[in-house]
Amino acid sequence: MRVGIEVGGTFTDLVAIGPEGIVVTKVPSVPRAPDEGAFNALTASGITIAEIEDLAHGSTVATNAVLERKGFPTAFVTTRGFRDILALQRHGRSRIYDLEYQKPVPVVTRAASFEVGERILADGRVLDPLDEADAKLHLVPALRAGGYEAIAICLLNAYVNPEHEQRLRDLLLQALPTVHVTVSSDITREFREFERASTTTLSAYVQPVIDRYIARFRDRLGTAGFRGRFSVMQSNGGRLPAEAMRANAINALLSGPAAGVMGALRQTGRSGYKNLITLDIGGTSTDVCVVTDGTPQLTQEFVLDGLPIRIPLLDINTIGAGGGSVIWVDDGGMLRVGPHSAGADPGPACYGRGGVLPTLTDAHVVRGSVRAEAFLGGRMTIDGAAAARALEPIAKRFTMSLEAAAASAVALANANIVRAIQLISTERGHDPRDYVLVPYGGAGPLHAAQVAAELGIATIVVPPSAGIISAYGLIASDFVLFESLTGRAPADDAAADVLRRTFATMRARALERAKQNGLGKRVKLTLTAEMRFVGQAFEVPVVFAEREIKRMTAASIKARFAEAHQRVYFFGGEAEKPIEFVSFRLGLTAPLKDLPLLAETETGASAETAIRVYDAKAWHDGRLRSRASLRPRDRIVGTALLEDPTSTLYVPVGWTARRDANDNTILERS
Amino acid sequence: MQETVKGSNKPARPKKATRSTIDKPARVGAQATSVLDPVDYAVISQALIAIAREMGTKLIRSSYSNIVREAQDASAALFDAAGNVVAQAELIPMHLGSMSEIFRACVERCPISELRPGDFYINNDPYGGGQHLQDVFIFTPIFLDGRLIAFAGTVAHHLDLGGGNPGMTPDAVDVHAEGIIIPPSRYTYARDWNGGPLERLVAANVRVPSQTIGDFYAQFAANAIGAARMGELCTRYGVETVATAMDELMAYSERRFRAALAEIPDGTWLGEDAVDDDGISDTPLIVKAAVTKTGDQVSIDFTGTVAQVGRNLNCPWASTVSATLAAIKAALTSPDIPFNEGFKRPISVTAPKGTLVNPNYPAPVRARLLAAYRCFNAVLKALSQVVPDKVIAGGNDATHALAISHLGDRGYRVYLEIYGGGFGGGPRRDGCDGVDSPLSNCTNTPVEATDMDFEHFRVIGYGLLPDTGGPGRHRGGLGLFRRFLILKDGVNFATYTDRVKLAPYGLFGGHDGSRTRIEIERDGKILKVKSKDRVDLKKDDILTLYSSGGGGYGSASERDPRLVERDVQQGYVSGGAADRLYRTVKP
Repeated sequence: MRVGIEVGGTFTDLVAIGPEGIVVTKVPSVPRAPDEGAFNALTASGITIAEIEDLAHGSTVATNAVLERKGFPTAFVTTRGFRDILALQRHGRSRIYDLEYQKPVPVVTRAASFEVGERILADGRVLDPLDEADAKLHLVPALRAGGYEAIAICLLNAYVNPEHEQRLRDLLLQALPTVHVTVSSDITREFREFERASTTTLSAYVQPVIDRYIARFRDRLGTAGFRGRFSVMQSNGGRLPAEAMRANAINALLSGPAAGVMGALRQTGRSGYKNLITLDIGGTSTDVCVVTDGTPQLTQEFVLDGLPIRIPLLDINTIGAGGGSVIWVDDGGMLRVGPHSAGADPGPACYGRGGVLPTLTDAHVVRGSVRAEAFLGGRMTIDGAAAARALEPIAKRFTMSLEAAAASAVALANANIVRAIQLISTERGHDPRDYVLVPYGGAGPLHAAQVAAELGIATIVVPPSAGIISAYGLIASDFVLFESLTGRAPADDAAADVLRRTFATMRARALERAKQNGLGKRVKLTLTAEMRFVGQAFEVPVVFAEREIKRMTAASIKARFAEAHQRVYFFGGEAEKPIEFVSFRLGLTAPLKDLPLLAETETGASAETAIRVYDAKAWHDGRLRSRASLRPRDRIVGTALLEDPTSTLYVPVGWTARRDANDNTILERS
Repeated sequence: MQETVKGSNKPARPKKATRSTIDKPARVGAQATSVLDPVDYAVISQALIAIAREMGTKLIRSSYSNIVREAQDASAALFDAAGNVVAQAELIPMHLGSMSEIFRACVERCPISELRPGDFYINNDPYGGGQHLQDVFIFTPIFLDGRLIAFAGTVAHHLDLGGGNPGMTPDAVDVHAEGIIIPPSRYTYARDWNGGPLERLVAANVRVPSQTIGDFYAQFAANAIGAARMGELCTRYGVETVATAMDELMAYSERRFRAALAEIPDGTWLGEDAVDDDGISDTPLIVKAAVTKTGDQVSIDFTGTVAQVGRNLNCPWASTVSATLAAIKAALTSPDIPFNEGFKRPISVTAPKGTLVNPNYPAPVRARLLAAYRCFNAVLKALSQVVPDKVIAGGNDATHALAISHLGDRGYRVYLEIYGGGFGGGPRRDGCDGVDSPLSNCTNTPVEATDMDFEHFRVIGYGLLPDTGGPGRHRGGLGLFRRFLILKDGVNFATYTDRVKLAPYGLFGGHDGSRTRIEIERDGKILKVKSKDRVDLKKDDILTLYSSGGGGYGSASERDPRLVERDVQQGYVSGGAADRLYRTVKP
């Protein structure tokens, strides 16, 4: 049996797939002890732990440790003269008219920042050797006195030559054997010292947190007789064996949304869909991601709570739009939805827990797209009158009917979501019309049709059990690891040789790591070269599959870069100017031998109920069906609501729904 | 329907106006949206802001010089068909305030009705509506089905545009010695740029054409992105609907700003601050502002400010307007009110011609930002008398510009960076430590980038300066240091800085912040650098900038003792200074 357990902020989801079928469980999360929620889910599901062969886990432990600054005391060591890298950051401001602007707060304080004598130059030559005597005399005692659990080392130009970082790490580990030491050259090999230092300190900061969490989880599993494989999700969309994750803690940040993307990709991939825009709408936020030709878009530039992270992770854009997002009117008379949220408690007004602010969920209740009796499979009672009361002031303000105000709020939330998608599609040079939209999460299927219409997307593919697709994603993900290398080299006539030589070196390194981590021999490799015109400072990623590398020529490499540059920046397509490689990233994937198969989990009655939804300035009569009751030849023409126990799919006028052989529900323009 | 700038600073040089004003009477019909569906309006206005932001991001990411690609000294905006700023990428406040003034100077040369697809406006002329020569503004008209629907505009600070010295010319006697002037003009991209005569003319007049011309291309490309996105938006929603949304977005900012103004009592308040000196004499250059608020309007008058000076401290009219608008925006509006033409409508600015803040041709203007900061400070000081909880104390409030260049075998290498320091303490918080000052927003160049790109110097230190923040209930932010080891003989160093003599002021009992200084260590001796100076550096010289810490806000005796403890523990304040300034010694 394979089991995925995803711990979210509000709910902990479990999906188990085995010979006896599919089990889906949702239990409340336990924020103070996320593993508690995970084991509660196991108990609730009735699964015998000893029978689990493959357990994949994802949690917000790492992310929350950063957001709440609840990691362990961490120190930072850098090159003499640059102690304040973390405090100075990049010297700019994200809000330019804010007189009381404050910078994002680093996870390491100034008092915990130290210097060491050394300097390496941009070409890797050693200018000043590492002052080991001084480190032993001053740095070690200071670090010991500080009582730090973790130490992050980031020395200038260590991305070219990691020698000093490695020697300093060995020296510190010798003196302070119980401390976790993280060096920048192991985490990311990219230039720009502040971003690399930020990434390294974040990694060091969550290291002990993840280490202890995984150890505790593993011990508890062991006690229950678990003998299977235990793996953990990473933000790059792949899993790692839990033991290996203890040394790669930074990859645990933001792993939850990545699991959702992978689940959506695997399940819709069974029906042949390879170009997806994923849309995950939950209680407080919306996550969107672009998947092209079966590969999710990666980014190397991410900001968590204002702090830069430079590791490859899924290019997921998150905005504050979810079921709990508050509908309000600002002092200029503009209608707004979010970004603040009523949260889970008191939650939307319709929850009847004392919430009085109108939320997106209340708007759905008022306009009829969420049925009071069916919310979360009927496990929660909904107060429709409270939703209406909450929305009344908005309706009055714009002299609209209640239902029109509700529909406006939903449309506005959709507009915000459309913007979020454009940021990662149109702005990155991808046309949304070449993609299908894959909605999931509790509210994704409710909004999908209108979002698709705005983007010109003609097809929507809704996976079964859309509300728990992240948990499925955990067991459906491959094992993945990345190697990075900064290697500035001209992309001239010798470009193809550089590419092949680099690939060979990185391939050897990646295969060795795969072996250490027990990932098996059957692997897929993809090389990404970060390239730019000589003189630029930001690169454009150019991707090469393993099989292509042999036959690339200097001309074809240049042409591929020029095309990528033109697509994003609207110039540079000619490629007459000198081009250079800046860095390389090798992705190693150990694919699953066989994919666990997801399906609708209940047959559901085929009886139809009449419903009414307000949309496009009118009430529309329609019908309600359970998604599981759809027969292969059924064609459901909007207006309709199609429910499963975890989510409601809204089919507006102009769209037709059908269920395909893999239990995906397909919506197409009629 | 649209108002234009009234009684403005005409670009014609020989004409002698006696004063300049921008004065926009209240716009009729600035009421809640009536014709536009609230959702369409919200969607389109967010899209407009997103387009401007995408233009700015891509301009920076595809550019070549360290001043644009690392320091991000560039901005972008979208304009309606009449040239009103509708949405902007929030990058550099100083650029953004004057976009439409600089645009209008172009219109005076070539009316909008004469523009054809493929044309563009360009302007960097301080006496033709512009700021300083290095900031080149380019505006591209956007056509849809042959009809002009909007403009995309970008500005970048160009690394070197010629002139008497690489990067900057501190002893320039006039604007001609500061570089090439591109007066407000219309050109055609395919013919004049793109290998054409204008590109060749500019390339021939600058020292590092590979970078400068690359940055121009990035500007044109960013404008093209704006044009493509506007086209998509108008195709989706219709030109009329988008135009209505643009009007409404401006009305929205205006409405919210007027509502905020109405809550402030009427009155006139005076404020003044000064630039240290003009680089020749020791006399401070005093800037005076009278801020008058009446109903839902506000006017700022700089009468009483010193006469223009012989060196590059003069602040052209567009820069004065920009600095004033930024001060008003920051102090009197909530941050989520979009900055656009509508926000500017309730504001009028006046300054006599021939003064430091409205100079006559041909006064040099390269360091205009320093006087612009004093405009900003004078306005905030005036406002401190009526809205003390909306202003902050004086900060570093200067751009310390360092140009370190070298002419070697492979041509010129020009390094130019801009440094800030501490913000003044505020009513709720300490001033921000080591950050660019309010009118600017330049990021630093990573040391690993300068290590890669320059062989004539190496950065050997960069950090905060403890004890530089003026004590107060909320202390000033700390200044910073940046230290360079010079690696070759014959290195050319040019700079302008300020707050070298006159420290950032404290407010409401807060102490002043620290002063700025630049030092050169040569053969064991310290050589002082003047606040505006040019020096030949030798191999092994060590050059250090120490920027100002901000002034404190409120009395130091009111400071929360826990904050004093934290400051000592974190090394922001030394133990001795804490005892002396904050702790009352009990017998």
